Amino acid sequence: MPDTSANDMDRTMNSGATNLATILKQFGMLLVSVLMLYAIVLAITLALVPLQEEGTSTEGLDTARAGNSLYLTEPKYVFLGRTALNTESDKIILVGASNVVVGFKQAQVQQLVPGAQINNLGVGGSNITQVREIVDLVQDVQTPAARQHNTFVIGMWYGLFADDDVRWNTPDRHAGDTDLDIERYRYGFFRRSESGPVPLLPARYLDVGKTLIHPYLVIDGLARDVANNLTRSLRQSVSTKASGITDAQRNAVVLSENQKQRYLDFWADYMGHKPLSRQQFAVLRELIDSIVANGGRVVLVDLPLPAWHAERSPYFAEYQQYKQQLFAETGNALHVSTVSMHGGNADENFSDEVHPKPRVTPAWAQQLASALNAQRSTAAQALTQDRLTHNSIQQSARQAD
Amino acid sequence: MAFTSFNFLALVTLVVLLTQCFASPLGRSLVLAAGSAVFVASYLTSPLQIVPLAAFLALCYGMVVWVQARPSRAALAISISLVVASFIYLKKFSFLDGIATLPFPYLVIGLSYILFRVIHILVDACQGGLPAKIGLLAFFNYTSNFLAFVSGPIQRFQDYAERCAAPLVLDEEKVFAAFSRAITGFVKLAIVSAVANYFFGSLSAQLFATSDAWPKAVAIYALAASIYTIYLYYNFAGYMDIVIGVSWLIGLDLPENFNKPFSSRNFLEFWSRWHMTLSDWFKLYVFNPLLKSMAMRVESPALQPYLGVIAFFVTFLIMGMWHGTTNVFLVYGLLLGAAASANKFWQINMTKRLGKQRYKALAANPLYAWFCTGLTFAFFALALTCFWTDMAQLQGLVRLLGIGGILAALLAMAVVAGVLLMAGHALTSWLTPRIEGWSNATRGFVARNLLLGTRVLGIAVVASFFHKAPEFVYRAF
Repeated sequence: MPDTSANDMDRTMNSGATNLATILKQFGMLLVSVLMLYAIVLAITLALVPLQEEGTSTEGLDTARAGNSLYLTEPKYVFLGRTALNTESDKIILVGASNVVVGFKQAQVQQLVPGAQINNLGVGGSNITQVREIVDLVQDVQTPAARQHNTFVIGMWYGLFADDDVRWNTPDRHAGDTDLDIERYRYGFFRRSESGPVPLLPARYLDVGKTLIHPYLVIDGLARDVANNLTRSLRQSVSTKASGITDAQRNAVVLSENQKQRYLDFWADYMGHKPLSRQQFAVLRELIDSIVANGGRVVLVDLPLPAWHAERSPYFAEYQQYKQQLFAETGNALHVSTVSMHGGNADENFSDEVHPKPRVTPAWAQQLASALNAQRSTAAQALTQDRLTHNSIQQSARQAD
Repeated sequence: MAFTSFNFLALVTLVVLLTQCFASPLGRSLVLAAGSAVFVASYLTSPLQIVPLAAFLALCYGMVVWVQARPSRAALAISISLVVASFIYLKKFSFLDGIATLPFPYLVIGLSYILFRVIHILVDACQGGLPAKIGLLAFFNYTSNFLAFVSGPIQRFQDYAERCAAPLVLDEEKVFAAFSRAITGFVKLAIVSAVANYFFGSLSAQLFATSDAWPKAVAIYALAASIYTIYLYYNFAGYMDIVIGVSWLIGLDLPENFNKPFSSRNFLEFWSRWHMTLSDWFKLYVFNPLLKSMAMRVESPALQPYLGVIAFFVTFLIMGMWHGTTNVFLVYGLLLGAAASANKFWQINMTKRLGKQRYKALAANPLYAWFCTGLTFAFFALALTCFWTDMAQLQGLVRLLGIGGILAALLAMAVVAGVLLMAGHALTSWLTPRIEGWSNATRGFVARNLLLGTRVLGIAVVASFFHKAPEFVYRAF
């Protein structure tokens, strides 16, 4: 009599092996198909929309241009465009929230600071955590020598100190993910872990990664254009927000009492109805130390708010307290300087509760440029002094020999 | 573990490959059990969180063994009562406020579907409908199979056992069909439902921010409710496609759960096409016994047809309430119950008034049929408002829109949905014979894989537009 159970076992094993082979064949074929199709799409998109390098030797990065670039949004512009900052020439890198983007027009500041390249990496809605991420991402793509030519200008105001738990907690994101984190994960360049984003693509290969995701960038742009065109009239009819306004209209804005109250309510919600985050000030201290430790310089700019906003917001007074403490602590630091712009806080200088009117930005640029030029001149003098001292020591040593 | 996560894909891959390596029924069962254990464990942050679910499963298994050993109506009643009471306690229904709950957070995902499966086993065991004694491994795999753990489908135990015992033989066609089905599921989930969710999020935010009722809020509400319904359908149907596709590769062949629900011409038909395994379960274990019980008590032949009206109301009320533990789901149950019973009442009265033939002719009239199709969609969308609001928001919406606004939105949704569904049907009928030649050309191994590859690329591109993959909605129920 044949051994039935052994036969059954054999049949099962044979069928399992055949099944496995069939599945692997199908998987392999699908993988090859996907790779082949992607290669075709990559070739087509590269031919139709050649790679664009943001930031050149003559023109720095500017997140205000993000909408017109292949990157579309400020966070993506910073995340993917930052490789342009790996140069050994002097770079001024502005970081902060939307008032940095709107208030410091890159071209206006650049004209007044001819010896260094001005880069505006302000990202709307940033808090200090995100500012720190921007600085870290920039330093990640730089050589140690390039980092020594960085001057980070941090545009500060109370909104920058919103608690992470409040600021980065919306239904459309994983709790705690900043806008920059979202860009890190979007194309798989980083993976999410309990201790934060972990790089999968080393920073030195970022340009290769950008080339590989070119189809995504092109299709994203096309999809947004199509969606915007299709839904423009719908959005205009259902939206409760005002649509975009011109510079002339911004210059003419006079806020009503009702609007001011709405803005105050908005910021109370934005800050989570709780005191400013001490932890955010601690992160700022660490950030300053990190930049200086890498050989860079820091300029802390205390940005103005309209007087009505400063008077009526409970956060402003609290912010002043922390800021004064910070400025006192960093006042004597060699590579850190501070600028207060509160002279420009007249209500008529602002188009809303935070952002300066377009006619005011040249004055902002002037004020920042003066501080930057002064710092650069001091730094140059210190460098000359260092060299002279170094030379005289060498000379004395030679004479002693 | 989200269905769109890398971890889920890795788990599925591992389970599918190991199933082929250990292809005997026992080997497959062990692989499935291990996969399910890993899947459930992925929801835990501490071992204590699994204890109530494990205890619930142990109680259920004990009851099943008892009823199988001593089948009687009393044993069935006691076991179902104990199981349902434990379920209600663990789910913390809002009407239990004030009763002490367990003093630690614990896992409730999957509890509802375990309950459905266990009641089915208990009833069938009592009626002698089960093939044999159920072992612990078979019980765990049947109740906690990771593919159907979160939200079904609810497979009959007899079908499950039959599939497990049968040899697993896969050919090229079946494997391709499984890949294609799962990838179609991801297309529905990661593209269609994600896009609909994006628009719904934007519209609902506008809706809750607006204070102008007419015509703006009514229009936004109608649009938001419709898009939410589309989102929910593609989200749920996508999940079903994924798990059904994978189940083909491990020999489980899970049952279908959707059959073109939006082509339904009335609310009762809709529920025979939407979440079909749940509807069948309610029909079998709530509606039928209830109707039978009432029919035995009511002697008047004139009243007999109307018993269905009451039975439908109760069944749909329970089904609606099952979806959640808060008051808003009572409203959902009432809406479903009202619609189902009104539908039945309409059918009875129209048949009485017009006679069978004329009512049949009316139902066949295209204008009437497509309006009914639109109205079915519209009413379901209206009822689903309970899924995206809490009680306070729902009351706010009713105050904002008013009864007139709600009726206007319902009518607008019915007309627009009716017209669009009719146009879609006409387009499909026109296209089907014309693309048959084309689909023949794409049946080759390479061509069909290239087509499948374009779907994978589509998923990858659209997924990159969004910050977060859409969550599977029904996991909350």
